[in-house]
Amino acid sequence: MKVGLDTLLFYLFAFIAIPFAYGVLLDRKIIRAGFLLIGVFSAISGLFLLLNAQFLAMAQIMIYAVGITLVVVIALMLTNPKSEDDISPLNNWNKIPGIVSAFLVFITIYMSLRAENWTVRNPGQLMQDNITRIGIDLLTYFSLPFEFASILLLVAVIGAIMLAKQEKEITQNNSDENFDKEELTSEDKNVIKV
Amino acid sequence: MTVSTSTSNKTQSYGVQSTGPANIVEIFKFMRLTIIWLSIIFGAVWGACWLFGVVLPACVEGFGLPAEISQTIRYFVPLVAIMVFIPINAMFMVLFERRALALFTVRKGPNRVGPDGLLQTAADAVKLLLKEDITPRGADAFMFTLAPIIFFAPSIFGCIPLLAAATGDHRLFSIANLPTGIFYVLAASSIPVVALVMAGWASNNKYSLVGGLRAAAQAISYEIPLVLSLVTICLLAGSLDVVEIAQQQVGGFLHWNILGAGKLLAVSQASPITFVTAPLLAICCILLFWLYMTGACAEINRIPFDLPEAESELVSGYNTEYSGIKFAIFFLAEFTNLFVVSAIATVMFLGGGESPIPGFLDTGFFVSVMGTLNSLLQPVPALQWLLNSLVDPATLSCVFWAVTKIYLIVFFAILIRGTLPRFRIDQLMDFSWKRLIPLVLILFLAVAYLRELV
Repeated sequence: MKVGLDTLLFYLFAFIAIPFAYGVLLDRKIIRAGFLLIGVFSAISGLFLLLNAQFLAMAQIMIYAVGITLVVVIALMLTNPKSEDDISPLNNWNKIPGIVSAFLVFITIYMSLRAENWTVRNPGQLMQDNITRIGIDLLTYFSLPFEFASILLLVAVIGAIMLAKQEKEITQNNSDENFDKEELTSEDKNVIKV
Repeated sequence: MTVSTSTSNKTQSYGVQSTGPANIVEIFKFMRLTIIWLSIIFGAVWGACWLFGVVLPACVEGFGLPAEISQTIRYFVPLVAIMVFIPINAMFMVLFERRALALFTVRKGPNRVGPDGLLQTAADAVKLLLKEDITPRGADAFMFTLAPIIFFAPSIFGCIPLLAAATGDHRLFSIANLPTGIFYVLAASSIPVVALVMAGWASNNKYSLVGGLRAAAQAISYEIPLVLSLVTICLLAGSLDVVEIAQQQVGGFLHWNILGAGKLLAVSQASPITFVTAPLLAICCILLFWLYMTGACAEINRIPFDLPEAESELVSGYNTEYSGIKFAIFFLAEFTNLFVVSAIATVMFLGGGESPIPGFLDTGFFVSVMGTLNSLLQPVPALQWLLNSLVDPATLSCVFWAVTKIYLIVFFAILIRGTLPRFRIDQLMDFSWKRLIPLVLILFLAVAYLRELV
């Protein structure tokens, strides 16, 4: 049997992604787990590259591997730095229900993926210039879902700003008012980036 | 008595040198240094590319090995070019910056090591490599080592598509071109932010941690105007492919994206409304270039945005605990990043490797020089073959103009460093979120409409 380069690369990326994913679950230092998440996302973007989805691969790196992971890590650093001791997730009897539910989730996703009949329109055209295709489809055929997604993000940003603002009114009575303001504004900015 | 007179003479002579005509001597020395170093760098890179792109494949085919092997060797040419280029270039740029800053502040700069200080940074590099490599107690050793690597690696693989644009899509480099070119470069250049936070956290030092967070906040804030200004240029060009964007700007400086991608020339033929819209589009593009340069300066932590590493005030932030070769890698990456952002500016705004001379004035200087050399070497066929395999006049012209433009931008960045004072952190954040981002959004809309109206 002849094994193509694509297959080899797929197994390589899978071989990178799975240990990193385990590392995210098992690492005792929660911030290091956040950094390991970057490895998972990078390997997944490699899988997208193998599928000829360059745009998606770049977006995966730019948004997930850098933007979102960074916000997660910074939020972890700002909130609870002492929680990194004595977190041993798989040490007690909770793991059996955990494994069962994880297995059930896996089965559900797998069945739903296999049950769906994925049809590909014009595969040759997709291979050629899929950025042009994505652009045209997003602004014509899928413009309504696209706009809904952007409204959802806008609402999320406004909500985050409102939450942060409310907190500021509460803490206005504090003596070191300036310090609180600084912290909140920097948090606002992180939220907006998401 | 004699000693004191000699010293007073010396001070007098220094006083004379720091004014007027003596400074011209320093400028001349600076230009000589630049030309020598640039010839060394590009001679080395050109030679390495020739070796991997022409000589080795020819040898492989000469030994009767299959053509796949020689083709595979040719695929490695862009990588070899970058690997040869980055260390020498960083060494040159450190010296370039120090001498230029000395020029702006009427000093002499490094002038002891080697002839006229030419080897100063080589000595610095040896010193940094020989220093002890310390990992602080309680630090996360793995992350501590990984951070400089993650900081440096994107600047190597991120600038590969730009090579194709800077060499005019030469056949050895066109493999490096991607349909998502500029998006790939931007994705790669967003990765170092992670390394800053990682370095700050892994050092087990509170000040480093705060420094890393400060650097991340700054990089995230300024990435938005940076990316949006490039997106606007992609909108104007209608492509993400860097080679295509560079080739759209052929034909002199009026066709460059910074002046509205040749729309100024369309004024005479088209409807009267273009008398207003074309200059407006050009103004928008100049503002976009300014926005890009501002965002890029902040992104690579240069003065006036160098809060992440304010050496004298804030003890360097994220890289306080680093020493030896890891610190050298941070240093190397910073100068490489300066080169990379200048290269992006050159390709996106200043026409990449295209000559700034308008088409009707272009005399084809490089082609005529090649023709003369060829006719001179007519009697010696071996030398003629060597010349023709080594030099391609079109590529030479492209590389010459690309390098000239890139180093002019680098010089401009150093000029800014020597001129402007540093921002305060709250001013820095306000400047990005309240001024630059609204401005770049307005410009995005303006360009979207104006490109249809011209």
